Amino acid sequence: MRGPGFASAARPAFPMRVTGPILFLILVVAAGRVPAAQTSTATLNASVNSVARLSLSSAALTFPDADPDTVPSVQASQGPITVTAKARTSPNGAITLTVRATDDLRSGVNTIPASNITWVASGAGFGNGTLSATTAQAVATWTGSGVRTGTQNFFFRNVWSYATGTYTLTITYTLSAA
Amino acid sequence: MKKAVWSGAIAAAVVLLGSSSAFAQQTAGASIAVTAHVDAKAKLTLSLSSINWLDADPDTTPTFSSGAITVDVKARTSAGGAVTVTVLADQDLTSGSDTIPINTLTWTATGTGFTGTGANNMTTAQTLGSWTNSGNHSGTQTLSLPNSWSYRTGTYTATLNYTLTAP
Repeated sequence: MRGPGFASAARPAFPMRVTGPILFLILVVAAGRVPAAQTSTATLNASVNSVARLSLSSAALTFPDADPDTVPSVQASQGPITVTAKARTSPNGAITLTVRATDDLRSGVNTIPASNITWVASGAGFGNGTLSATTAQAVATWTGSGVRTGTQNFFFRNVWSYATGTYTLTITYTLSAA
Repeated sequence: MKKAVWSGAIAAAVVLLGSSSAFAQQTAGASIAVTAHVDAKAKLTLSLSSINWLDADPDTTPTFSSGAITVDVKARTSAGGAVTVTVLADQDLTSGSDTIPINTLTWTATGTGFTGTGANNMTTAQTLGSWTNSGNHSGTQTLSLPNSWSYRTGTYTATLNYTLTAP
């Protein structure tokens, strides 16, 4: 089982003849100050690390077709998305939730700028915003650890000039706890 | 005693490792797939639905004019798709058995994409405007009819049917 460098397979890793004299000296010194009552101290170390967890109530948003004259702003058929952010951070540490589109809305070669999707938010720390395919947009910011919940109600700007098609994109959320 | 010494060393190492990661930035992600449906549709609006020309002296009023009729065109079509507005009369201007040829009812139009001048026809739809791609278009059309001494008396009527096509 041992490699060739070991002299004996039964040899202990830390021989008693090395550590024994050291322990003896410690005990002699301690014996001169034996207390009437002995006190022991146990130290408990609990590690609380930074952690972040994000959950959304829906993984899809659908904007149905509508007449631009009567529905100039189309609400997503799923209704408001509930966002739950859980984060542990340092005292007064910043927690940010951002969102960014992977691309403009695209249907084949036709595109509609992602900025035509906006949201109205509710919940402490949450704010309204406009989607972007180039820059992550702030959805919410908080300070300190905790669990926060809010909603985002998404709308699609509906105008006559769009070419017909089924347009798609993906929006990605990032929760950061410093 | 030896075990206690090594346990302490291990515990210290764990605490140190925990301390170094406690301040590292943590991130979590999620995503949503977004779909927007944009279907074809067309909407045509005229600022009036009837024209009524009262009798007039041909010498003082040689031409009846409707005044400018606003034509609003809204269409969603495929990229590069053709959008057209055509006009087709249902008949000549007719009063009983008397008629005035519908092609004497002419128009002038203004606005980008609108056909500047034209004459109505009851067999072939006449193009009032044409465009490419989705969008809004607005223009005017003014209808004119000569007021001739040769007309027989009567109340003449015809209907002009406007059709907006956006494939």
